[in-house]
Amino acid sequence: MATVAASPTYTASATPQRSRLMSWLTTTDHKVIGTLYLHTSLFFFVLGGLEALLIRWQLMRPNSVVLTADQYNQLFTMHGTTMVFLAIMPLSAAFFNYLIPLQIGARDVAFPRLNAFSYWIFLLGGVFITLPIFFWVAPDGGWFGYAPLSGRTYSPGPNMDFWVLGLQILGISSLAASFNFATTIINMRAPGMNLMRMPMFTWMSFVTQFLIILSFPVITIALVFLQFDRFFGTTFYQISAGADPLLWQHLFWIFGHPEVYILILPAFGLVSEVLPTNSRKPLFGYPVMAYSGILIGFLGFGVWAHHMFAVGMGPIADTVFGLTTMLIAIPTGVKIFNWIFTMWGGSIRFTAAMKFAIALIAMFVIGGISGITHASPPSDLQQTDTYYIVAHFHYVLFGGAILGIFAGIYHYFPKMYGRTMNETLGTWHFWLNFIAMNLTFFPMHFAGMLGMPRRIYTYDAGQGWELFNMMSTMGAFLLAPATLIFIYNFFRSKKHGEPCGPNPWDAPTLEWSIPSPPPEYNFAKIPMVTSRYPLWDLTHPERTAEIPHTQTGWTEATQQTGEHDMAPMHIETETRTAKELGIPMPSSTIKPFFVALGIVLMFSGLLFLPKGMKVPAFALMFGGTAMWVGYLYAWLTTPLEDHH
Amino acid sequence: MVIAVTLLVLAACSGGDYPNSTFLPTTDNNRDATDLWNRMMFWGTIVFVIVEAILLYTIIKYRRRPGGPEPEHVHGNTLMEITWTLAPALILVFIAVPTVRTIFRSQAAAPANAVQIEVIGHQWWWEFRYPEYGFTTANEIYMPHGRPVNFALRTADVLHSFWIPALAGKRDLISNRTNYLWFTPDSTGEAAFNGSCNEYCGASHANMKFRAFTVSAEDFDTWARHQAANAIFPPPVDTAAAPATVRPASNAIGMAQAVPAAQAAPTTVQAPTTPWQFPREKVPPHVLPQTPIPASVSIADAAIAAGDAQRGFTTYSRSACIGCHKIRGNPSSMGILGPDLTHVGSRFTIASGLFPNDAKHLAHWIKNARAMKPGSLMQTLGKGEHDPIMNITVQAGGLTDEQIADITAYLLSLK
Repeated sequence: MATVAASPTYTASATPQRSRLMSWLTTTDHKVIGTLYLHTSLFFFVLGGLEALLIRWQLMRPNSVVLTADQYNQLFTMHGTTMVFLAIMPLSAAFFNYLIPLQIGARDVAFPRLNAFSYWIFLLGGVFITLPIFFWVAPDGGWFGYAPLSGRTYSPGPNMDFWVLGLQILGISSLAASFNFATTIINMRAPGMNLMRMPMFTWMSFVTQFLIILSFPVITIALVFLQFDRFFGTTFYQISAGADPLLWQHLFWIFGHPEVYILILPAFGLVSEVLPTNSRKPLFGYPVMAYSGILIGFLGFGVWAHHMFAVGMGPIADTVFGLTTMLIAIPTGVKIFNWIFTMWGGSIRFTAAMKFAIALIAMFVIGGISGITHASPPSDLQQTDTYYIVAHFHYVLFGGAILGIFAGIYHYFPKMYGRTMNETLGTWHFWLNFIAMNLTFFPMHFAGMLGMPRRIYTYDAGQGWELFNMMSTMGAFLLAPATLIFIYNFFRSKKHGEPCGPNPWDAPTLEWSIPSPPPEYNFAKIPMVTSRYPLWDLTHPERTAEIPHTQTGWTEATQQTGEHDMAPMHIETETRTAKELGIPMPSSTIKPFFVALGIVLMFSGLLFLPKGMKVPAFALMFGGTAMWVGYLYAWLTTPLEDHH
Repeated sequence: MVIAVTLLVLAACSGGDYPNSTFLPTTDNNRDATDLWNRMMFWGTIVFVIVEAILLYTIIKYRRRPGGPEPEHVHGNTLMEITWTLAPALILVFIAVPTVRTIFRSQAAAPANAVQIEVIGHQWWWEFRYPEYGFTTANEIYMPHGRPVNFALRTADVLHSFWIPALAGKRDLISNRTNYLWFTPDSTGEAAFNGSCNEYCGASHANMKFRAFTVSAEDFDTWARHQAANAIFPPPVDTAAAPATVRPASNAIGMAQAVPAAQAAPTTVQAPTTPWQFPREKVPPHVLPQTPIPASVSIADAAIAAGDAQRGFTTYSRSACIGCHKIRGNPSSMGILGPDLTHVGSRFTIASGLFPNDAKHLAHWIKNARAMKPGSLMQTLGKGEHDPIMNITVQAGGLTDEQIADITAYLLSLK
């Protein structure tokens, strides 16, 4: 240990004098990028929540004038866009980044610089699409931007320009990240970790990456059409030229429905980590859990037109899509039961994370049942585009995705910061949040079934909706303090939380076998895995006695990497730096940031075109293009790792 | 949960407090949808109770106790997993079969005796045509109860969705397509309903509403035949009302103002018709809008009361109004962009169900429609008024309060 004391302080950025901002801008460490994702998306989550508060304030009473129609239309568009693309998806990405390499025993993702690029283009794209709301020129066509309303004829202003370009930019981020994670999971698993030994979060993430890879190109194409319509006068959605507006709807929902599973599957994965750990039992029916995740993803591509039962597709299409939609209930139900029976007979410890995970099960059941009611098209025609739908998808996305993500944050915070979050505050957050979300979203079922359309900025008195709207608004006002408690707890615990060891929850998977927070290289020696619960193999062998243990994959791994770099499953106590251990780490670089910036500048140039300002338009487009092409060239011609 | 279920029952049963409830057994279409809903709620409640009960039991029974035993390490149970895969599948069969049956029944061709109504959505109002009677109206539909109604749905601009929650499920209006929706209002009697646009369609999506009335077959016929007739101005004083003057036909719309003698008019002399509207005393409160008038638009009550229909006729016929509106019987007024105003005085609402149709609201509306209804394509007309879309103050060509009051009186006389 003498060498440790003698060696200079070694930080992730290799040059200790760099400022914190520079270290962020240049990082290629998946853990730092993961926490950047986490903080950024929490910021957007709060912003989207504030937008929702304004919406609810306006709807609290009939004929209210808190907001103008234009402001309201911008707010509901941005609330949806923000929560889907800037909050829930990147919150999941935060966990992909932080956890996938740790769970599979890797030292980083497959492409660390691409990973940094994904984050920066997400951040810049998020800023691009969010800034206009502060000047009331934000997108106002709804989060699914139906043509022809989203076209230039009916939305002549810059509002929808920000939307179409912003989503294109964000799509680049999602696609780059998903190729990265899929490659990581396929190629970088520790020796012995075959697919059926991957932690369930990694499994669900794996499915999610394929959903993104297969669905985002579709929205990209839809957006390219819209972009060309808006800027270059093409007629893909130009109804005066005979276009069929259903083209947009089909393309959007072929993306849009898998997107729902992109939002929910990572939360399912997180819950599948939290429940067994806090029940002291292995996950019930692991293989079925993995298969049902795949099946949900697969079926998710065959149900998109259930968003379109009202457009008049005819009885055969309605039948087909109604039935495929009902089918999805089966694998989802299997997951619900397997979670419950994971806890059955266990020894349940009610940590804050566990409470949120259990609440997800309880709430998702409600969202699932209301989902079935609109899988039946004749019934759906009384529900679609009403507040009943708003209630349904908030039970799925808030009661599902957000509760799962909160569970994940409470559970994994100790791994990220070496301290636990305050459990008392966590309990307060949980109960306030649980009551508030039900108060907000449950009455919306009634408002919808009593005839209240969604996306209306005002409604008349005497329609029978006053009580339900008042309840929803009260609930929303209660969600605000709940979230504040969480935010306070989050930031306070980073500095003042109770210090914890590497494995405060007595969890079974690899990420808990290394120190908290993990060293930059994650694993000094790559662990050689023999079962699905490698850490319980060491700490609680009785819990894993029944599952098969093999050394499959060890031989190939040792032949490829050499035995010196790996060791049988162990609890890592190494404290030396990567340099001292001779572990090559990807060097810091600012190039991914500039590539992202160049792409965003290039897209920004288009904003000036409709105003006829050709000079700034072309300056930005050519300047941005030169910037990202140049930096990309420099990036690709620089080796990933410094020479040690 | 108990409260929630109670509320649901209330909502389902009471049409009074919840006039737009989707559970009212008013039409064949709605009874089918409610029947499906009840089936799904039946199974859904069973699933909900079972799952949440097992969940609650589990977390209470198996909570960690100090000194509790180490749990048994079950990794799965094939039989149980097959059970909870098959059980939901079986339930879904019970839902799927009636679903498919209802889909094919409700989307079959409309019965031959159905009343045909063409619906054309506009940003942000509804055009209704009765092809069998050959007239066009706006924002209010009359239907004979007991007879099927077949709606042919089109849009003039962006997507809209046609929905009368208390009568039937909605159907979208898709550009370059015609959609159909039919149902039979057989259990309504004489009743009034609210309808709305249900597909987000821009700034005033929330203000794109309409009213629907089911009336007896005789009343419907009276109403429709009067709506089909030209407006008669000045209104007949005694019962021996003179039919509209026969004028030579012309298709030159632009010449309307310059050559009042050469106007388009029906080629046959009309039989006198009786104005008929849904009995005002039977109009339920939820059908009459309560939207407040924005503070920025004002016009004195005294000025409105002083409006003169005869002067209003002259002013209207020379104003910008005629560029967009049609009044059959007023040869100057041939516009087709805005709602048909032929019998505007017989309607209960203006501005697509946003305001009640009375002199006060109509005068404010004419003065500054764009301040009354965000994004309205109808221009701000009052002199000195601020047009929020053009961001200009109307000066030359603007209407004075007196002129507005006159026009109001004229329009309201068109029963």
